Amino acid sequence: MWKYVFRRLLYLIPTVIGVTFIVFLLLFITPGDPARMILGDQATEEAVADLREEMGLNDPFLAQYGRYLYNAVFHFDIGRSYVTHAPVTQEIKAAFPATLKLATLAVVLAVVLGIPVGIFSAIKQYSILDNLAMVFALVGISMPVFWLGLLLILLFSVHLGWLPASGFDSFKYMIMPAVTLCTASLAVISRMTRSSMLEVVRQDYIRTARAKGQKERVVVWHHALGNALIPIVTIIGIQFGSLLGGAVLTESIFSVPGVGRLMVEAIKMRDYPVVQGGVLYIAILCSLVNLLVDILYAYIDPRIKSQYS
Amino acid sequence: MSISWLKKFGLVAMCFALVLGMSSGALAAKDTLVVANMYDAKSLDPHVTPDVGSAHIMVQIYETLLKTDDKGEIVPSLAESYEKIDDCTYRFHLREGVKFHNGEELKASDVAFTFHRAIEIGKTIGFIVGNIDPASIKVEDDYTIVMGTKTPDTSFLACLTHFGGGCILNEKAVNEAGDDYGTHPVGTGPYKFVDWQKGDRITLTRFDEYWGTKPAIKDVVVRAITEQTNRTIELESGGVDIAYAIPPLDIRRIEENSKLKLIRVPDVSVQYMGFNCSKKPFSDVRVRQAITMALDLEKLNKAVYRGIGGPAYGPIPPRLRYFNTNLSILKYDPERAKELLAEAGYPEGFKASIWTNDRKERIDIATIAQSMLAKVGITVDIQVMEWGAYLDKLSEKQHDMYLMGWSTPIPDPDYAVYGIFHSSQIKGMNKSVYSNPKADELMDRGRTLPDGDERRAIYEELQTLLVQEAPWVFVHNGEEVVGTSKNVKGFVADPAGYHKLYTVSFEE
Repeated sequence: MWKYVFRRLLYLIPTVIGVTFIVFLLLFITPGDPARMILGDQATEEAVADLREEMGLNDPFLAQYGRYLYNAVFHFDIGRSYVTHAPVTQEIKAAFPATLKLATLAVVLAVVLGIPVGIFSAIKQYSILDNLAMVFALVGISMPVFWLGLLLILLFSVHLGWLPASGFDSFKYMIMPAVTLCTASLAVISRMTRSSMLEVVRQDYIRTARAKGQKERVVVWHHALGNALIPIVTIIGIQFGSLLGGAVLTESIFSVPGVGRLMVEAIKMRDYPVVQGGVLYIAILCSLVNLLVDILYAYIDPRIKSQYS
Repeated sequence: MSISWLKKFGLVAMCFALVLGMSSGALAAKDTLVVANMYDAKSLDPHVTPDVGSAHIMVQIYETLLKTDDKGEIVPSLAESYEKIDDCTYRFHLREGVKFHNGEELKASDVAFTFHRAIEIGKTIGFIVGNIDPASIKVEDDYTIVMGTKTPDTSFLACLTHFGGGCILNEKAVNEAGDDYGTHPVGTGPYKFVDWQKGDRITLTRFDEYWGTKPAIKDVVVRAITEQTNRTIELESGGVDIAYAIPPLDIRRIEENSKLKLIRVPDVSVQYMGFNCSKKPFSDVRVRQAITMALDLEKLNKAVYRGIGGPAYGPIPPRLRYFNTNLSILKYDPERAKELLAEAGYPEGFKASIWTNDRKERIDIATIAQSMLAKVGITVDIQVMEWGAYLDKLSEKQHDMYLMGWSTPIPDPDYAVYGIFHSSQIKGMNKSVYSNPKADELMDRGRTLPDGDERRAIYEELQTLLVQEAPWVFVHNGEEVVGTSKNVKGFVADPAGYHKLYTVSFEE
């Protein structure tokens, strides 16, 4: 098992290098000049040219990428922001806690609500509540995040005055952004749970368990859910990984100082080091979340654990 | 799953909630002023960035040698007096006993250090300090410094009032902080820096050793709330006491709310549609005049800006010194526009494009202009670009017409015209590629003449010339629109957006 984990961690290296190369290339070919963005629209061409030279932006692509990779690998230095001059690690460290808290709360809400709803829908297939739950899931997946966020602000901040409209200072500030974020994830998790449970409850071993007089609660939560968990855990992992990358619309609406907003501002300003650093962080996090999911598989299904060994 | 599993699961979920909620938000007490800013500061090092979001904080922390009063006149600040030595050089006498936030006393050496550093690293403030001659900076004694420009420049003193290039830094604090100075600023201002939660808020506290009138309010929290409607909501719900940049759609809501006040002052910006004067047909002044006269700017302003600000009448905003109050503008007259086009050889009109970035007001202006120009036979194609790509494309000078804004944070008419209309700036800010020897001559004379009637006459003549030459359609002069709670007293909105919070108090 540990060999498997170690091997997966080693695979992380070429994955991350590949991601940084692609992003570096995309930034290189994208229109827009970081020097001009830093100096503003009032800059002279001479000042822009001087700054480009100073920043090494006139060097060939491979020279720039090589320099970046060398500093990152051998000096653990992923540069400083072109705009704020602060270290990129500092910028990401400042933004990461808000994103982590928001993503975690959103996923916890989605799991705590989504799995029971999915189980219930599967057990009571085609009932009124099943249909209602799936309609809600469809609405949750389809509803634009920014619209839901604004509706929540209108109701809970403007009309009721229960919750603050923006900021991220304490738990009450997290409620609306987390609910906004969790809606789509909740819908996806509940649908996947329902689908996976429907496959499992039709299996012979479930019929056998019922025939042997096992309590329905045990049949559902122990025998059925246990065997239906693999795809559910997969989708939870995907959702969590994507949320950790930052939810820029939600962060913008609720003024959450997270990674999503940081990345969008960096892209707009052509702040290449911050974009590169942000992508590196997201790539590593997503890979680690995938690894965690794979490890969880081993604990959910012992057959998979033996394959890893 | 057994019930005990469920209980464990629930317990874990609760623990998450508790852990996540560990950070608590402090309630805003009456000795704390909470302000909603449009976006987070980029840096608190004035030599790194001149953006408005950062300036909103820096104006509380730093001071300049000179400043502008409520009438826009330049008055002493950290320099209690100054004298002109020659056309390029000035001597400044500093106030004695002024303390920086780290306890160091302000000395002439700090001023010398500040401007040497600004010249060396301040690439974003080149338009402020670019003409300062580093060789002219001489410390005569602890409180006297001589400084000058490479060429005669009457706007030099106005440049020293700018919250970017003009802020005075403490040499020791900058050297100690090194590359991290942008997050550890030290100034002489009424408020000193306490804390910065990136992307969220900056906290300042009153500087008790401030040399001037100390602020009435002890602490200031400036929150970054980018969504403009949220700033209004926070103001309505009491989450903030002051909200900057209220959008036009929310103005009535605030005016009709008895617990709030709306403060509006004309700002120093001009939104314009520029022509590429090097390219046919826009190289013909009759075509430019025709397009200007084909646009009903009153209606356009009402539709786009909904009563904020109004049509612009020239390159110099009305609040700025030497604005020509007798300016004769090109009035809306589509019939005359058609005649001019026919005289220029385009009786059937022509096809052209308007470039703009993805700012909503500019897209709206382009759309309305497209419709108005169609009535005089000009078929317009609108191209919307992302900001970075837009600046790049404009630098290639291949555009027909383009939408942009120009702000004059330095209270001098030279800044409102020279960089954007002088032919020497075609490789710089003169995106209209405009070249007129008469205009150049007026601008060259205007920047060297001392303030007075002769200088006024130069700029009034220049404004008349530029309006008739029409390198731009002068579309809109804006306003600073700020909302405050009713109990906020003493807030004065600054036309350049550098709102000072240290004059604010709460009504009992």
